Amino acid sequence: MELFPALLRADTMNPVTYLVVDDSVFARKNLARIIESYGGNLAGEAADGVAAIEEYDRTLADIVLMDITMPQMEGIEAAERIVRQHPDARVIMVSSVGYQENIVAALQKGARHFVQKPVKPEMLYEVIKYVLGDSAITAPAAGE
Amino acid sequence: MGIFSDDRANELRALFFESAAEILQAINEDALRLEKSPRDPDLVRDLRRNVHTLKGDSAACGYKELSEAAHAVEDVMTPEVAERSGEALAGLVLTAADLFDSLLTSFRDGLQPPSTQELRRLIAALQSPQGETKFAPAFHWSERERMLIATIANGQPVYNIALAVDPACPMPSAAAQLVRNTLHEAGTIAAMHPEADVTPPPTLIEVALASDKDVKWLERRAKIPTVVAQVYIERMNLEAVAEPLVSRDVAHSVENGVAKDVAPVAETAQTSAPVLPSATKAAAAQPEVYLPFAPQEIGAAVAERAAVERPRTKEDRVVATENVLRVETERVDKVLDLVGEMIIAKSMMQELMHDMLATLGKGHGALRARGGDILTLQSQIMNKLQRAVMKIRMVPVEQMFRRLPRVARDTAKATGREVNVIIEGGNTDLDKSILDALAEPMLHLLRNAVDHGIESPEQRKMSGKPVEGTIRLNAYHQGNQVVIEIGDDGSGIDLGRVVNKAVSRGIITADQARRMSENDALDLIFTAGLSTSDQVTEISGRGIGMDVVKSVMDRLKGTISVRSVPGQGTTFHLKVPLTLAIIKALLFRVSERLYAVPLGNVLEILRAQEGDLHSVEGQEVLKIREEVVPLIRLSRMHGVSQPQAKLFVVVVSLGDRKCGLVVDRLVGEQELVIKALDETMIASEMVSGASILGDGRVVLVLSISDVVEKLGRGRLHVSGVEASL
Repeated sequence: MELFPALLRADTMNPVTYLVVDDSVFARKNLARIIESYGGNLAGEAADGVAAIEEYDRTLADIVLMDITMPQMEGIEAAERIVRQHPDARVIMVSSVGYQENIVAALQKGARHFVQKPVKPEMLYEVIKYVLGDSAITAPAAGE
Repeated sequence: MGIFSDDRANELRALFFESAAEILQAINEDALRLEKSPRDPDLVRDLRRNVHTLKGDSAACGYKELSEAAHAVEDVMTPEVAERSGEALAGLVLTAADLFDSLLTSFRDGLQPPSTQELRRLIAALQSPQGETKFAPAFHWSERERMLIATIANGQPVYNIALAVDPACPMPSAAAQLVRNTLHEAGTIAAMHPEADVTPPPTLIEVALASDKDVKWLERRAKIPTVVAQVYIERMNLEAVAEPLVSRDVAHSVENGVAKDVAPVAETAQTSAPVLPSATKAAAAQPEVYLPFAPQEIGAAVAERAAVERPRTKEDRVVATENVLRVETERVDKVLDLVGEMIIAKSMMQELMHDMLATLGKGHGALRARGGDILTLQSQIMNKLQRAVMKIRMVPVEQMFRRLPRVARDTAKATGREVNVIIEGGNTDLDKSILDALAEPMLHLLRNAVDHGIESPEQRKMSGKPVEGTIRLNAYHQGNQVVIEIGDDGSGIDLGRVVNKAVSRGIITADQARRMSENDALDLIFTAGLSTSDQVTEISGRGIGMDVVKSVMDRLKGTISVRSVPGQGTTFHLKVPLTLAIIKALLFRVSERLYAVPLGNVLEILRAQEGDLHSVEGQEVLKIREEVVPLIRLSRMHGVSQPQAKLFVVVVSLGDRKCGLVVDRLVGEQELVIKALDETMIASEMVSGASILGDGRVVLVLSISDVVEKLGRGRLHVSGVEASL
C-alpha cells in the first residue's frame, strides 16, 4: 500500500491518534490499514455508538472515523454526543452513498467532514489533513 | 562607425539597463500585490504594460531572449487568465522577473544567458487550464443584502468568496452543508447565494463574509477537500469607493464649524446615487456596499481605518515618469564641487569690491549701494543653488525599502514562514551614497529577521500570536541623524544562548559573562565569529554577517543598536549621520545667538512665566497639563542663566523621554541644509551641525541628546564647569 507522509501532531510531534467506529470488522480493519499508511496510531475501535462514546472518553483520539448505520446507537447520535461533551472532537463521518440526509444532519450536529465508502486512502488523507488544520504537520517522508 | 556613435550606443545600453532595473522593480511590486489580490484587473494591466515596455526596449537593444520571454509573459497577462489561475499568475510573474533579472545580468556581463524553457512551460500550463467548468462569480448583492453587509462589516474586512462545489462530490447537499459550516467558523456570513437549502443543491456558492482572518487563511479553509473544486476570494474594497464621501463629509462639517447630522448625509446619498448605474463589471468586484444606507456610520469607520491604515506609499510622492531625468551621481557631485568653488570666488569678489570702493574714496553712495545689493543678491542665489544641488543627492529611503518586501517574501517561502512587511517613513530623505551603503546590511538584517526572528506558523500559533509575522521598516530623522529601524515580532534573541556561545568561542570569559549587563550581552551578536543560529541556513548564511553589518555602520560613522524582548521580537536601530541631509528645523535665539532643533523632535511650544517653574531636587521642572517635564535652560550653554519674566519652552522628545528647552525668542521654522562640522570646528559638544540661512546668517543645530546629557539632570552640580565650555 502507498505510504503517505506521516501526519504528526504539531504540538507534540507524536503520531495522530484515531478512533475507528464501524459495526463491520472488515471495514474497521480496512480503515486501520489506511491509518497505518498515514503513520497514524489506532487508539481505539468501537462497533457501535455507545462503545464509541466510551472509547472516545478513554482515548480522546485526534480523529474519529464514524460509520453512519450501526446497531444500538447510530453514528449521528454518537457523533452528536461526543461533540457535545468535547466540542474540540474531530469527527469525520464515513458512509455509503444513499445516506446523504444523515450526513447533512451529522454535519449540522458538529461532525467536521465526511467521506464516502469505499474509502479512497488519498481522499481520506486530504480530508484528515484539512480537518486537523494547523494542529498537524506532515513529517518528511522516511528516506528509503 | 565613428567614436561618437559607439559612445551613443553605450549610453543607450546603459540607459536600457537602468530603466530595465526599474521596470523589474515595478513588476516585482505589482506581482507581490497581485499575489494578495490575484484578480485585480488594474494590476494585471499594469504588469502587462511594464512587461510590454521591457519587451520593446530589449528588442530595440537586440536582446532577443529577453524580448521573446517578455513577449510570452505579456500574452498571458490578461484579466481572463488572472481570473482563472488566481495566485498562480503572480507566482509566474515573480519567476519571470527573476529570470529577466538573470538575463539582464548575463547580457551586461557578457555571460551565457539562462534558459527560458522552464518559464515557457509554466506559461503554457497557465494558458491551457484543466478546469473546464465555467467559474464566474458575479456577487450581485441586492440592496437589502448590501445593507446587511455594511451593518455586519462594522469595521471588519468583508470578503467576497465564491466556492465551486466539486462536481465529483457524490453528496452535493452534504457538501453545501459543510461549506456553510466552514464559513460560519471563519466569520460572519453577511449574505449568501443561494440562501439556504435548495434543490437541486448549488454548484456555486457565493458569500459575503465578514472576517478578521486573512485571505490566505480563508483560502486554505475554503479549499475543502473532496467538496470544493475552486475557490475565489477577494476583499471588498469598502474604502476606495467610499473615500471621496468621507472627505466631503469632513470638509462639510469643518466648513460649518459644527457637524451637521442630517444634511450631509442626504447630500451624500444623492450625489453618490448616479454612480450606481455606471457600475461596470469591473466595479461589480467592488460592490458599493456603503451607498444607500447609514453612510455616516460606515464613513466614520472607513475614515478611521483610512487614517490608521492608509500607508504612505508612493501616491504621496507621485512624480510623472516623463518628468524624471536620470543623471549619474558623479555629474551632480561635479556641480556641487563647482558651487563650492563659486562660493570661494564670491568671497574673493567681495574683498575686491571692498578694496575698489576704498580706493574710490568717500562719496559714490549710489555706487556703494548698488555694489552691496549685487553682492547680497549673489550670495543669496549662491546659497539657493548650493541647497538645490544638495537636494538632488537626497533620495527617499523608500528607494531602498521598496526592494525589501520581495526579499522577505522569498525568504519566508524558503523557510516556511508567513511574513507581512510594513513600511513607514519611506519618504525620509537621505544622502544617496549612504542609502546605497545601507542596502546590504538591511538585506542581511531582513533575512535574519525572517529566518531567525519570526517563528514557524505552528510555533506562533502555539504562543498565541498571529500566524503571519510582521516585519516593520521605519525611517525617521532624529536630531542630526537618520534612524532606520527594522523590527520583527518574532521570538526575540535568546540572550543565554548568545552569552554561552560567546564564552564557548572564547570571545568573553565566563567571569565577564556573569558581570555582563543585558545590553552588553546583546551587543555580543555584533562580534565577529558569533552566529546565534545553530546551523547556517541557506538563507542567512549567504551575504554578510552581523559583524560586517556593524563594520559597514562604523564606516558610515553610524551606529547600530538592538533591542529584543523574549517572545515579542527584535528591533535593530541603524543610525546614520545626515551629513548633507536637509531637515525641517525650529529656529530660536538664546543669548542673541541663533540655534535650531529638528522640527521632528519638537512636541510643542509653550509660553511660561518664571513663576510657573518649580524645582524638584534641584531640577527645574514645568508642569504641563498632568505631566511634569524637566527643563533645560539653554542659556547655560553660554554660562549665563539670568531669570526672565517670560520664557519660551520648546518641548522636545528624546526617545521615550520629554524635556523642555528654555529659549529666549522663537524665530520660526525653516528647511536647513545641515553641514556636518569638522571635529576641530565643533566649539561645543552640543552642536551637531550648522547651516547657513539664505541671508547668510549661520545657525547652529543642536543635538538634543547631547544637550540633555550635558545640561540635564545629574550634570547640574557641575554646571559651573560645564558652562565654561
